[in-house]
Amino acid sequence: MPREIYAYKCRKCGHVHYPYRMVCKNCGKNEHNEFEPVPLSKSGSLLTFTTLYSLPPDFEVPSLGLAIVALDGGITVTGQHRIDEPETGMAVRVEVEVVRRDGYDEHYGMVFYKA
Amino acid sequence: MTMRDVYVIGIGITSFTRLEFPLSEIAAYPAMMAMKDAGTREIDHLYVANMGGGRVNHQTGLASAVVDTLSLTPAGAETIENGPASGGSAVKTGYMAVASGLHDTVMVTGAERMREVNNLEATDFVATLTHPIAEHIYGVTLPSLAAMFTRLYMEKYGVTERHLAMVAVKNQNAALLNEFAHLHQRISIEGILDSPEAMTNNPYVAEPLRFFDCCPVSDGGACVILASEEVARKVGRPLVKLAGVGQATDTHAVHEREDPTDLLAVRRAAAMAFERAGLTPADVDVAELHDAFTILEIVESEECGFFPKGEGHLALERGETALGGKLPINVSGGLKGRGHPVGATGIAQAYEIVHQLRGEAGERQVKDARVGFTCNFGGFGNNVVCLTFKKED
Ligand SMILES: [Zn+2]
Repeated sequence: MPREIYAYKCRKCGHVHYPYRMVCKNCGKNEHNEFEPVPLSKSGSLLTFTTLYSLPPDFEVPSLGLAIVALDGGITVTGQHRIDEPETGMAVRVEVEVVRRDGYDEHYGMVFYKA
Repeated sequence: MTMRDVYVIGIGITSFTRLEFPLSEIAAYPAMMAMKDAGTREIDHLYVANMGGGRVNHQTGLASAVVDTLSLTPAGAETIENGPASGGSAVKTGYMAVASGLHDTVMVTGAERMREVNNLEATDFVATLTHPIAEHIYGVTLPSLAAMFTRLYMEKYGVTERHLAMVAVKNQNAALLNEFAHLHQRISIEGILDSPEAMTNNPYVAEPLRFFDCCPVSDGGACVILASEEVARKVGRPLVKLAGVGQATDTHAVHEREDPTDLLAVRRAAAMAFERAGLTPADVDVAELHDAFTILEIVESEECGFFPKGEGHLALERGETALGGKLPINVSGGLKGRGHPVGATGIAQAYEIVHQLRGEAGERQVKDARVGFTCNFGGFGNNVVCLTFKKED
């Protein structure tokens, strides 16, 4: 089964949040479980990016691409990029893959590729 | 409700370098200096700023250790953790305690001992303040957030790597005049940007940010003692008023901000600190801004109201932010040159401003400085504390 990353839509006003928060940022609806998970869009454009050379100890690679992407539909997200020559504004597609391993734990997240 | 005026009556600081002392002693040493400076040991309450004691040094409940090591029991004491803005938060809390009338004399000391671990572990420890699911799992660190922000700023406002290098050179060389600073190595644009060796001397840490765009990992402590006007007049040190405090927060995950080149929490905290003091940015003679990354000094100089948005790098080019300029920024060396022991930084900024307003700053004295300002930046701008100070006759 393909993995999904979800955004959270307020059942009262429809505002979509990523990441999750417990009270709606838009209408202030203050009830538990008032958000509906909605899958994030799988395409967007590169807002900004970096190549990080000074990596946290869990990462056994010489460098890591990181980026902020404006997804189609309005949500903005942070993730890893695997693009050789990234440029701001470039169209990207999103895959959900393992982004970090610590010990036996595998964490899934968004990886951006050239569309 | 009427609030009382609050004054700084004593200041102290350690060298910001590698300190082979227990964390509690790094907090206590500047406190001893500050009590000597104020000429009093009558302290009603302590606030101790620290971010990493529990994680990096395996010590919790730091305030209880510090109050006892200073033989100030049974005074009340709390540890205050607000990431890299812990120091500013502790000063703000001390201000509230005196302004409210709850206490007359409050000690605010801060310390960090980050070099007990290596640089990568220290960076990873600071990275735990990013959003756990939306940022941290990806390997996001503070330098990487600063780098992505820098790229946007470059594209929108024409800031270049040369501007960033100018901040690095200005602040690191200013630190040569500060005996307590971490870095005492003169650098030049030639050496870190233009020469054939520059790419080796100054590699990318997170493109477009290079090694010399990032502050060092430091140990260190700093202290200010705050008091009511009555106590301040009795003590008899030059009267420096903590005239205004401001604090604001922003989204935890950086990508959620509406305009990714705004630092709204800085803008709001600064406006509040000015408003409470009845001052404006034009009144400020000397400022200490949170240059954990060179880009931040430029952007904070705009968001705090000293220069129009997008023009901070132009003021830098004109030399307005150097010692002798219209508004000297980070004459202490800033985080870049003095160093950044996270929990102590906000208090070290206050130390420098009081030192300047008293006219005791020696070779790095800003002439006739009467109003000072600090900006202590927590997270990547998600929790910011600003302070204004005013010399009184
Ligand atoms: Zn809502």
